[in-house]
Amino acid sequence: MKKFNLSLVTGALLASSAALAQVTAITNATVHTMTDKGVIKDATVLIEDGKIIAINPSSVSADVTIDAQDKILTPGFIGSMNQMGLVEVGAVSRSNDSYDKKASAMFDASTAFNPRSSLIPYARKGGLTQNVVVPRGGESIFSGLSFVTDLSGGFESVTATETALIVRVGAKSSGSRAVSLKQLVDKLEGQQKKLAKKDKKDDKKGEPSKEELVLTKVLKGELPVITKVSRASDILELLKVKKQFGLNLVLWNAEDAALVKEQISESKTPVILSAVSNLPSDFDSLHASLETAGELEKAGVKVLLAVGSDSSHNVYQLRFDAGIAVANGMSHDGALKAVTSNIADVFGLDAGKVAKGQRADLVLWSADPFEFSTSIESMWINGAKVNTNDSRHDKLRDRYNTPSDMPRAYTK
Amino acid sequence: MQKFAISTVVLALAAALSGCQDKGPQKEFVSIEKNPYPSTYKPVSNKSVLITDATVLTGTGERLDSADVYIVDGKIQQVGQDLAVQADTTVNAAGKWVTPGIIDVHSHLGAYPSPSVESHQDGNEMISPNTAEVWVEHSVWPQDPGFNRAREGGITTLQILPGSANLFGGRAVTLKNVPAHTMQAMKFPDAPYGLKMACGENPKRVYGRKGVAPYTRMGNMAGYRQAWIEAAEYKAAWEQYEAAYKAGLNPTAPERDIKYDTLRGVLDGEILIHNHCYKAEEMAMMIDLSKEFGYHAGTFHHGIEAYKVADLLAENGNCAALWPDWWGFKMEAYDMVQENVAIVDAVKNSCAVVHSDSDTTIQRLNQEAAKIMYTANQNGFNLTEEHAIKWITYNAAKSLGVADKTGSLEAGKQADVVIWDKNPFSVYSKAQEVYVDGAKVYDRNDEKYQAVSDFMLGQR
Repeated sequence: MKKFNLSLVTGALLASSAALAQVTAITNATVHTMTDKGVIKDATVLIEDGKIIAINPSSVSADVTIDAQDKILTPGFIGSMNQMGLVEVGAVSRSNDSYDKKASAMFDASTAFNPRSSLIPYARKGGLTQNVVVPRGGESIFSGLSFVTDLSGGFESVTATETALIVRVGAKSSGSRAVSLKQLVDKLEGQQKKLAKKDKKDDKKGEPSKEELVLTKVLKGELPVITKVSRASDILELLKVKKQFGLNLVLWNAEDAALVKEQISESKTPVILSAVSNLPSDFDSLHASLETAGELEKAGVKVLLAVGSDSSHNVYQLRFDAGIAVANGMSHDGALKAVTSNIADVFGLDAGKVAKGQRADLVLWSADPFEFSTSIESMWINGAKVNTNDSRHDKLRDRYNTPSDMPRAYTK
Repeated sequence: MQKFAISTVVLALAAALSGCQDKGPQKEFVSIEKNPYPSTYKPVSNKSVLITDATVLTGTGERLDSADVYIVDGKIQQVGQDLAVQADTTVNAAGKWVTPGIIDVHSHLGAYPSPSVESHQDGNEMISPNTAEVWVEHSVWPQDPGFNRAREGGITTLQILPGSANLFGGRAVTLKNVPAHTMQAMKFPDAPYGLKMACGENPKRVYGRKGVAPYTRMGNMAGYRQAWIEAAEYKAAWEQYEAAYKAGLNPTAPERDIKYDTLRGVLDGEILIHNHCYKAEEMAMMIDLSKEFGYHAGTFHHGIEAYKVADLLAENGNCAALWPDWWGFKMEAYDMVQENVAIVDAVKNSCAVVHSDSDTTIQRLNQEAAKIMYTANQNGFNLTEEHAIKWITYNAAKSLGVADKTGSLEAGKQADVVIWDKNPFSVYSKAQEVYVDGAKVYDRNDEKYQAVSDFMLGQR
């Protein structure tokens, strides 16, 4: 994974601004740390230069103090498995950069990311501060590499690239799934052999190709491999591949995962799923259930929640999906992890936790973050306070909901 | 269409020559059967039920605390506090909430069922921009597991619509959400038919791509207008025939065309329009179109921009069936606001409806309504649960033309009732028991009342 030292870049750009030197104190907060410290009540969180510099320091000297009035402070939620910033309008092909026929294991769409997309301020309304973008790929079994952005809307939003390799196996509309799986195995075996040869000969001739570099990282377990599969037997086949090559495997969708939850748990394989998927969309997902997230959690599986359908535009719903998972058997803490720290862990992000030294991506909620009645009181991205009410949607609502004698076009 | 041009000519000739035709005994009168696939639905039971001590949202805008709902013979008998009545079954609902059965005015369950495999794509007759002749009830697969999931979310009535590829997509049907193995056994008795129409991007994309009309939005409008002209001719031809026959003459019946039977049904006020239409300017034109040809423009579905024409919709008596937040999948869905329903609803005489168009969100329309209510309240509205529940009960029933039968907990109405474990506007709420016409069709805590479709039975 490539990480960017954002604070240095931002610091250089904003050197003249006093904002960065400021210390913000959030006091009297009920902090869900998402670390082994659990929930800390009446806590003070200090932010400086984009980082959390202290929790409950002995003395507080801050430029800005925000009294949280015992309300809940969480890490910003993390969206994933969508194309936010790569697509503006689904059916407008020129606004869509997530798919390319020739996409391969090296497909990194991060340079196509548009931080000015209208989707981003809208997603902030759901308490999201970072997002894992996955390409939709092309004809290859490899859809490409995921990357991560913050939701500040600034030009330096990409926080990490090459965070995971997305692989398509499982049901196919034409051809056999056996061939896809074999392609994956063959690629991995091929690369394994090349590496073994190289070790023996100490062959320095010939630079490895970009694909070889990606596959090498995969074989070293450095790059997570995310596979979108649902059927239990496919999951087991992939667990074999994981074992054979020592992959850092992540299952995505995994609608029938509860059937093989022990095996998934034993192999320490995280699962990304949609909390609301409970219909058999095909013969691979006959056991899709609202209870899957909770069942996997109880079996000891690391669960990550992602919004299912058109998740680029609707990722703001993530917190409601988490609530639905809780209503159907997941623990509240488990669901909170599933939208914060578990995602950060799997993708290796500086996010998803409230701890000293962490990037200050925080949300202060009026109450339980999963409830419809709850609103966002404040949000910080990389230590900067950001607006969660300045989307196009907010502007359109205000335009048509404000009395005026003039045509609406004059209400701005 | 040429066929009608001809039949009109034939009719004119027939009229001129009527001296020849009116002699002799009358042939048998040709009448059009309006209900050839009648409902066979029968409520499961007629035992009396008393639900006690609940927070009741009546669907008429009222909230009653610690109230009882008394059901006799499948009908709501009484709603109020401390009812002094005896029932076959008493359900203690202390701490729980009770609402009318939830109604989804926009579903494709059964027509686009799960599993959504090739063989199950039965919702869009994508062969011609006007397929008013198709009836989506002929596509409904009652074993779609989605019906059961929807019932578990409190859905007791739903309208199944054809898709939106065509200007005229075909007839819609309203169903009671009861487990059955024929469509007729789900059919809502005496509910009017709907006609699906579609504005905007879908028809022009589907046909324009094939190089046939409509290629543009103006092509869409021309297509509707031409069809209504033909429908008016068809209606006139039949009315002339009927009048002549009544007058003792012996006219020849016009040629039957099931496409125009449906359009005539709209012109006669018997079939309600359900119009897939996202944009403000298009809704305004569809209203004018209905005035041009003398029918009511009905309900606008997916009206992403309904908030821009909220006044116009209310003035013309149009319901708007809307999502809380879907957007961005195409240009006509770009101007979404989360308060759309609330803005439409705020106008006097409005009819705001929350719909799903989804086999997933149909399972939680209560929560879809909750999203809107709370977002709107955070932006200056002052909406309550007892009001917002109307969007998925009473107003939805009005849109379907069944508000005299269901959609509220009022004496005499069909006892379609949901008991929720907590406030249905909470993300954690779940339907506990669901009643259709007074019969329990779902119980979260009793497997006996948990239906399993044939398709799911025995799957491993």
